[in-house]
Amino acid sequence: MATQTERHSTLPQRVGQMNGAWRLFVIGALAVLGFGIYSFWQEATQGMVVTGMRDVGTMGGATWGLYITMVVYFIGVSFAGITVAALIRIFNLDHLKPIARTAELLTVVSLILGGLAIIVDLGNPMRGVVNLFKYARPQSPFFGTFSLVVAGYLFSSLVYLYLGGRRDAARLAKSPSRLQWFHRLWAAGYADTPEERDRHDRASFWLAIAIVPLLVVAHSTLGFVFGLQVGRPGWYGTLQAPAFVALAGVSGIGHILILAAIVRKVTATPHRIGEAIFAWLGKFLLGMLLVYLYFMVVELLTLVYATPETEKRLSDALLTGEFAWIYWGSVAALVISAVVLIWQAVVRRWSVTWLVAVGVLANLAAIGKRYLIVVPSQTHGTLLPYDTGSYSPSVVEFGVIAGLFALGALLIGLFFKAFPALPIEDESEEVIANA
Amino acid sequence: MKYGMVVDLDRCQGCRACMEACKVENNTAQGHFWMYVFRYEEGSFPETQINFLPRPCQHCDNAPCVKVCPVGARFSREDGVVLTDADRCIGCRYCELACPYGVNYFNWRKPEKGQYEIVDWSDPDLEPVTGGAIPPYRNPDLDGLHGEEQRRTGGGSQAKGVMEKCTFCVQRIEKGLQPACVTTCPTDALVFGDKTDASTPVGRYLAEKRTWRLLEEAGTEPSVFYVGSRPPTHRSKEIERPKASV
Amino acid sequence: MRRFWTAACLVVGVVLMVVGYTASAPWGTESVAHSDPRFVFAPAVFVLGVVIAFSSALVYELLPEKRRH
Repeated sequence: MATQTERHSTLPQRVGQMNGAWRLFVIGALAVLGFGIYSFWQEATQGMVVTGMRDVGTMGGATWGLYITMVVYFIGVSFAGITVAALIRIFNLDHLKPIARTAELLTVVSLILGGLAIIVDLGNPMRGVVNLFKYARPQSPFFGTFSLVVAGYLFSSLVYLYLGGRRDAARLAKSPSRLQWFHRLWAAGYADTPEERDRHDRASFWLAIAIVPLLVVAHSTLGFVFGLQVGRPGWYGTLQAPAFVALAGVSGIGHILILAAIVRKVTATPHRIGEAIFAWLGKFLLGMLLVYLYFMVVELLTLVYATPETEKRLSDALLTGEFAWIYWGSVAALVISAVVLIWQAVVRRWSVTWLVAVGVLANLAAIGKRYLIVVPSQTHGTLLPYDTGSYSPSVVEFGVIAGLFALGALLIGLFFKAFPALPIEDESEEVIANA
Repeated sequence: MKYGMVVDLDRCQGCRACMEACKVENNTAQGHFWMYVFRYEEGSFPETQINFLPRPCQHCDNAPCVKVCPVGARFSREDGVVLTDADRCIGCRYCELACPYGVNYFNWRKPEKGQYEIVDWSDPDLEPVTGGAIPPYRNPDLDGLHGEEQRRTGGGSQAKGVMEKCTFCVQRIEKGLQPACVTTCPTDALVFGDKTDASTPVGRYLAEKRTWRLLEEAGTEPSVFYVGSRPPTHRSKEIERPKASV
Repeated sequence: MRRFWTAACLVVGVVLMVVGYTASAPWGTESVAHSDPRFVFAPAVFVLGVVIAFSSALVYELLPEKRRH
C-alpha cells in the first residue's frame, strides 16, 4: 500500500489519486448517466411520443422543446471557453494562464454535449448522423451548425487543448505512474527546447487567431437557425445572431467561474487561481452581461412600443402570460448578476462565493432565455388561426438532459484526474505534492 | 406544367369530407390532418360570422420547408409538388417550424400504435377480415417509389420518426387521378390541375376570378389559391377544433 | 520539410473545403436537384477539409525537424 501511495503522490494536483469523495462523485454521475441512457432508450424504441413535444398547429404543441433549448445552451457555453483561451494567447494575458486549460476543456465538453443533444432530438438519430455526412445542404442553417460547430469548432478546440498540454504531459511522463502511458502518448516526444517552445507559441497563436472567426460564424449560424424563419413570430429578426453570441458569452463565462472555483478548491491552489483571475473573469462577465441586457432592452422596447398583430399573442404570453415568470425571472437573474458584479468592481473586492453565485444565476437565466426563444414562438406564434398550444417536458426529457449534464461532469472530472488542470509551474510543485 | 389548387370559399360548406377522404386515402395517423378545414368565428355575439377555410399543404414555389431541410428529404419537384422522402428524413422537424401554415406532421409513435383505436387492430380474431393490415383500409400505393425521382414520398405513417404532410396525393396524380379531397368534395369547392394552363379549371379560375393566397406577406409563393371570402385575421377564433393530440 | 507539410495540410484542407461546399446541394428550391449533392458524402469532404486544415497546426508542432548531418 505504501508503495502505491508513493507512486501516486508523485503527480501534482491530485492527478491519479482517487479518494472516497472522488469515487462517490463518479458513482453518482454514472447513476444519473445511466438513468439518462435508459430514458433515451425509451424514446428510441417507443418513438418521441414519450416526450412532451407535439406538432405545432392542429396538435397544439411545441415540436422543439427542452432538447433544442439545451443544444443552444451547450453550444453557447462552449463559446466562452475557447474565447478566453484564445484571448489569453493572443494578448499574452499571463496572469490568466492557470485557467486556460479549464476553459478549453469546458469548450470541448460542452460541444460534445451539444452534439449529443442534437442527436437525441432527432426522430432517426442513427440515420441522422449518416445522412448529414452524405447529404447536408449548405442553404439549411443546420449545415453550419453541423459542419462548422460540431466538426470544425470541436476539432480545432481539441487540437488547441492537445498542443497546449504537451509540455505538462512531458513533465508528467517522467514520473512512473499508472497514467504514464497516457502522458507519454500526449507528449509525443516533446523535448521542451527553446525552439520547440517557440514553435508552440507560434502555432497556438495562429490557431487562436483562426478559431475566433470560426466560432463567431458558428454561433451566428446557430442564431440563423431561428432568425431566418419568416413564418415564426418571435424568431424572425436580425437581432437573433448577435444576441446568441452575447448570451453565449454570459453563460460560458459563468461556467468558467464555477469551474475555476471548483478546480481551485479541489487542487488547493488559491495562490494561483487568485483574486486577479476572478476579477478579470468578473469584469469580462459584466461586459457581456451589459451587452446582452442592452439587447434585451432594445428587443423589449421595440416589441412593446409597436406590437405587430402577428406577435401580439406571443408578446402577451411572454410579458404577462404563462411565460412571464420565466421571462421576468431571467431578467431579474441577469440584472442581479450585473448589480453584484458592478458592486464588486466598485469596491475592488472580488469574492469567489459571490462570483460562483453569479455564475449559477447567469446560467439559469441563460437556460430560461433559451427556452423562451424556442418554445413560445411555437405554442403562441402560429400565423393561421390555430388555438394556443402548450408544452410541458416529460420525465424522459428531464432524464436525458440530466444524463447529459452527468456525462459532462464525468468527462471533466475524469480528465482532471488524468491530467492537471493548471499548467505545472516548476519542480517545487511536485515536491509539495509528495509531502 | 405546374400543379395548383383553387379553393372556392363561396362553395365550401365546412363539411370536412375532404379531411376524411384524405385520411382514408393516405392512412394518416391519429391527430394528423394533412388536409384541415378551419371553422372559425369572427366578431362577437350577436354579430358573429362563421367561416370555413380548407388548408392543405400550400406546395409553395419558394417553400421555406425545402430551404431548411438539412438533408434534402423535403424537396420541390419541377411540377410544383413539394414532397418528403421518408427514406432520407432524419426527423429533425425543422420543416415543421419553418412552415408558416402549420401543415407538417411528425410520426411521434410506432405505426401500429398511431392509428385510430376503434378496436385493437392486431387482435387475431380480426385477421380474417383485415388480412393483418393496420389500418385495415391500408393503401398499398403509399409504400412505393414515386415520380421520375423515384423516392418514397407517399407518406402515411409507415415509419416512426419521420415527417410527412399533404402530398397532393402523389400516388393518385401520377395515375392521372385527382387528389382524394378534390374528388370527394360534394360542392366542387376544390379544383386541382395545371395552374399555368388557362384552359384547365384551375387556369380559368385564376384568369377570371379575383384570387388571394394565405400569408402572401411571407413570400412563400403558395400554389393554393382562394376565391371568395377573405383571409383570416388575428381576430379569427377557431371553433369546433377536432381533438387532435396524441 | 515541416513548413512544406504544414502548408500542404492547409492548402489541401482549404481545397477540400471549397470542393466539399460547392459540391453539396446547390442553393434554390425549384427542382429535385436542389436536394441532392453533386456526389454523395460531399459534406463529409467539407468537414474533412476543415479537419485537415486545422491539423496543419498539429503537423507544424509534431513533425520533427529534418536532421542535417
